[in-house]
Amino acid sequence: MALDPLRSEDDKPPRPAAKGKRWVRVTKAVNGIDTEVWEEVADEAGGAQWGARESMRLISRETPRVEGPDKVTGRAVFTHDVRLPGMAYACVLRSRVPAAKVTLDLSRARQIPGVLAAIELGDGEVRWLGRPIAAVAATTPEIAEDGVRAILATYEEQPFALTPEQAAAENAPKVNSRGNVRVLSKNTDSREVDQALEASPVRVKGTWKIPVQHHATLETHGAVVDYRGGAEATVYASTQGTFTISPDAAGRLGLRPNQVTAVVEHMGGGFGSKFGMGIEGEAACLLAKELARPVHLMLDRASEFHAAGNRSGGEHQIEIGVGRDGKILAFKARVTRHGGVAQGSGHPLPYIYARDNAVFVEDRCIHTNMDASRAMRGPGHPQASFSMEGAMDECAYAVGMDLLEFRRINLPDAKRALYMRQLERCAELIGWRTHPHTRAPDLSDAEVKVGIGFAIARWGGGGNGQCKVEVRIAQDGSVEVLSGTQDLGTGTRTYCASIVAEELGLELAAVRARIGRSTFGSANASGGSTTSASLAPSVKHAAHNARLALFEKVAPALGATASELEVAPGEIRVAGSASRRIAWKDACAVLGPAGLSAQGEWQAHLAGNDIGGAQAAKVSVDTLTGEVKVLEMVAVQDCGLVLNRLAAVSQLQGGMVQSLSYGLFEERVVDPDLGLFLNANFEDYKIAGAQDIPAMKALFEDDPRGVIGMSEAAIIPGHSAIANAIHNACGVRLREMPLTADKILMGLEALKRG
Amino acid sequence: MSDATSPHDAASREPSLSRRSFFKGAGVVAAGGLVGEAVHAAARGASLEPVRMEGTVEIELEINGARTKVAVEPRTTLLNTLRNHCAPPLTGAKLVCDRGSCGACTVHLDGAPVYSCMTLAVDAVGRKITTIEGLASPGELTELQSAFCAHDGTMCGFCTPGFVMSISACLENDPSASLDEIQRSCSGNLCRCGTYPQVFEAALDAGRKLRAKGGR
Ligand code: FES
Ligand code: FES
Repeated sequence: MALDPLRSEDDKPPRPAAKGKRWVRVTKAVNGIDTEVWEEVADEAGGAQWGARESMRLISRETPRVEGPDKVTGRAVFTHDVRLPGMAYACVLRSRVPAAKVTLDLSRARQIPGVLAAIELGDGEVRWLGRPIAAVAATTPEIAEDGVRAILATYEEQPFALTPEQAAAENAPKVNSRGNVRVLSKNTDSREVDQALEASPVRVKGTWKIPVQHHATLETHGAVVDYRGGAEATVYASTQGTFTISPDAAGRLGLRPNQVTAVVEHMGGGFGSKFGMGIEGEAACLLAKELARPVHLMLDRASEFHAAGNRSGGEHQIEIGVGRDGKILAFKARVTRHGGVAQGSGHPLPYIYARDNAVFVEDRCIHTNMDASRAMRGPGHPQASFSMEGAMDECAYAVGMDLLEFRRINLPDAKRALYMRQLERCAELIGWRTHPHTRAPDLSDAEVKVGIGFAIARWGGGGNGQCKVEVRIAQDGSVEVLSGTQDLGTGTRTYCASIVAEELGLELAAVRARIGRSTFGSANASGGSTTSASLAPSVKHAAHNARLALFEKVAPALGATASELEVAPGEIRVAGSASRRIAWKDACAVLGPAGLSAQGEWQAHLAGNDIGGAQAAKVSVDTLTGEVKVLEMVAVQDCGLVLNRLAAVSQLQGGMVQSLSYGLFEERVVDPDLGLFLNANFEDYKIAGAQDIPAMKALFEDDPRGVIGMSEAAIIPGHSAIANAIHNACGVRLREMPLTADKILMGLEALKRG
Repeated sequence: MSDATSPHDAASREPSLSRRSFFKGAGVVAAGGLVGEAVHAAARGASLEPVRMEGTVEIELEINGARTKVAVEPRTTLLNTLRNHCAPPLTGAKLVCDRGSCGACTVHLDGAPVYSCMTLAVDAVGRKITTIEGLASPGELTELQSAFCAHDGTMCGFCTPGFVMSISACLENDPSASLDEIQRSCSGNLCRCGTYPQVFEAALDAGRKLRAKGGR
């Protein structure tokens, strides 16, 4: 699988390292999908160090996020909230059919008083349902909507395929010129694995079905383009990559990228769907260019569902051969990804387990006339986890083994200790050892039954050298840390400030973090959980350099050399001396009006890579109604140095909530005959709400590695653990998400009938 | 969430306006003609009969204790009025679904939480509107707001104003609200980042603090 980061271990660096340099393997996000590449870095393990964890004051502690007061009072300005003088509000018209040639008459829209501009989007060819085909700007959003309604669209409709079944049928309309069903894997010879399966004493076989999920970010996609003519523009964008905006925007505005400043002060969720301008951002630019006035274009909710990405669904046909000793002997799968007009992220099967046995995977995709899938938190992994962990439980029950023991046997040697430690901890927290059904599901006739399930994750989470960070110390003692990076709600802004404050012996409030602006130092886009491991080491380096530069300036005043100095709370002093000290403010006064500025870049030794993570769920199943209630979820996660324990727990629990939601509720529903997306709203596309939340426990294993991103790992195993817990509770194996009551009742019926 | 915006409720308090007639008005607009008639005076008359309004109307709203004049179309929601027609703009309430299914736009009308995307601005005339910006005195935080910060009840923060408004109405009613009651009070709010566990902790903690202070 090309997108599997752990599969490229044997790659060699491109050439021998230059003098004073060494090669490290780093994760880079390309459109949110993490790929591993070699990067040459300075070979010095000295310099900035995280230092002893026990002595940390702000890092690795529970530090409330610095923008909290802004967010709880409504002061925080998101892209949706930007209001500029003379600003026009815009909205889009979506194609109401999946495939067509469209001709538009915009004249009626333009006649409406208050409508300022109406433009066509695209080239008149529609290949997927809901593609934005026109945009209208007006003095109010209400009038812009009137404008959209007044557009006359004439569709020359073409046959379409909305579902994989339609697309794979004989004589299906062509969605992709290379064919609707495309085989992506190279190896076609399964004979060896077929033989190994044949020879296995126990075999488990099944087909897993995974629906298309939507990112459903609360802040929709879009931008506010502040262009008033001339040679400069500012683009406020709801994006996961500050630096992904200017090049696209400049193209549409007829400017050079360095004439366009991108701003991302706060952003309301991305989860992998927000890189670059998108059709909606480009439309905002075109309208602003035409009007020479600011344009606000944020998608409405229905457009967001239709045209702002999704997590690819799929189908996994799996066959596993197991020995009587519980060892998996052979694994065969056919993966079919459903990514709309795109091919979808790879679903890396076999997932974690059974990788060094006879393995054959055929990887295919089926194209439909639906919006392209995009990366979504842990691209491909939650899908692979669902079928793999389900199949693992089925195998364990088939050979009559404890679920954890079966996993122990089939984990890769190098990871066994890690995962078993995490699984055992989950088992202890959720009461597995006292649970009455550890080797077989509960088949009693109790009305409400309780079950437990487990699943694990893996992710890279490493960093790379795309960040440039500046720390400024002013003569009056104020300190700023600047980076163009974006805070998606992960706590980026807070750790920027806390790392610098920690290094300089200051209180958190004494350091101001300024981020989310493309005029600040470059930073990577937030994809593949690569932000923290890239940015935090760079911030640390800048802070370290700032401290050393300050010591140089202050040393004469203390009659010492720079190397003798150290920081203490609010002051700088000669190490080991009680009297030779200078208060922070006085120390900074020696800097003169220019103050001091220090730069930082990525330090490979301050980051780590490669994490696991285990989760367990306890559910109750009402066998009369089929209702599932998740009672409890626990997670144990490694992630190197935890930058902020408060934000990290939020992040981990947030991932668990999202996977609960994925497992129990989420599914895009289309009408294949009428060509409609039936649940493009929050009433019919349900996501987890307050009353769906179980008791939760999220624990971190501290390990001595540097910073590692863990947000993706958090979302990978939860729904699989829930599906396994349902099976453990009542014997119904659901191989299709969402795990709804109707499927459970049908499963119970089938069990009864034997 | 109680829906204080149904025409019946509104009619019992204030002369109200049939929503259908607004949408009719909108239809006229869509067809390309605007009838520029300011008829808000009729809206404030004593009659309980439905009132037809068209074009732009000038109304006075009481927002966060201050009287504010705005000129809006009768079909303009309270949410869009707050966000687009007030100076300075009150953008704390968020537009997420625009149809009453996410709670991000929650404000208080006479102390009760409502979806401001499901409330017309003209229906809010004569009622006390409180938005997230006006919940605490300037420069201060309510117990609940502080607890949200301390317990990390916010991640991306887009849903946060809505949750704060829903739960603060609940705690205002009953500072000893149970976890179950708190969950119910924000069951009309969605959070995609999954902050729920921290939000509940914050709410319970704020309740404790409010009780210790004796009331608010
Ligand atoms: S925006 Fe009002 S409920 Fe969603
Ligand atoms: S904090 Fe992001 S949606 Fe709730």
